[in-house]
Amino acid sequence: MRFMMLMIPKGYENAAPGAMPDAAAVAAMMAYNEELQKAGVLVTLDGLHPPSMGARVSFSNGKPSVIDGPFAEAKEVLGGYWMIDVKSKQEAIEWAVRCPASNNEVIEIRQVQEFLDFPSDVREAAARYPEIKAATQRRERHMRVVR
Amino acid sequence: MRFMMLIKANQDFEAGIPPSKNLVDAMGRLAEELGKTGVLQSSEGMKPSSAGTRIRYSAGRRNVVDGPFAETKELIGGFAIVQVASKQEAIALAERVVTIHAECGVSEFEMEVRPLFDPGECAERAA
Repeated sequence: MRFMMLMIPKGYENAAPGAMPDAAAVAAMMAYNEELQKAGVLVTLDGLHPPSMGARVSFSNGKPSVIDGPFAEAKEVLGGYWMIDVKSKQEAIEWAVRCPASNNEVIEIRQVQEFLDFPSDVREAAARYPEIKAATQRRERHMRVVR
Repeated sequence: MRFMMLIKANQDFEAGIPPSKNLVDAMGRLAEELGKTGVLQSSEGMKPSSAGTRIRYSAGRRNVVDGPFAETKELIGGFAIVQVASKQEAIALAERVVTIHAECGVSEFEMEVRPLFDPGECAERAA
């Protein structure tokens, strides 16, 4: 089962463009990343620049509208994620609990939707697009390597 | 530049209602185009937050709370990672995705476009 561990750092919603986490926190996180990798559960990970460097796109009256970051109303923003492949949600929680997170940080664990979980008519519609299938196969190959 | 395109969860998503065939068709065509040009690196959808758990870290303690997380307005439903030349290009892409959802009758939809750190950037920081 694949899970996203979404890191939601308190205060990141107001971080200046170009802000970087401090070196000690990065070092601790890299040791944790290595543990995940050695255990064979890590699929992929990334860090996101602060929302002040991003944008939000929504629609009103059918037309897209763009708002540049930072997003005044946002109390929680994503700072990074890990995707892990584990046997159960409990195992995902155990990994998240071991994360060297700082005070007031939140990790949200979310199960990733697998293609086969979709109803058959949605799967049939998606199967007409080889790129979706190719992406799934790339991922399955990658997962075999990880396992 | 790599960008993470976050798709916000809406009420239908949280209720576990799958996307319509029209929407799968339209997004499939876009994924085809973006896959061929090497723009689309990966995309994933998540299960509703009722299948999730949150762990809050405070004063050395870990507080574990099971989903759903009805109180948050910032819930993520899925994401794609794209490789593009500029932030403008990433935003233009998000506008296409938003337009497709509007045309397919989705009434509530928002995306967030966020640049990703280069993998080496953080490693240098720790060295």
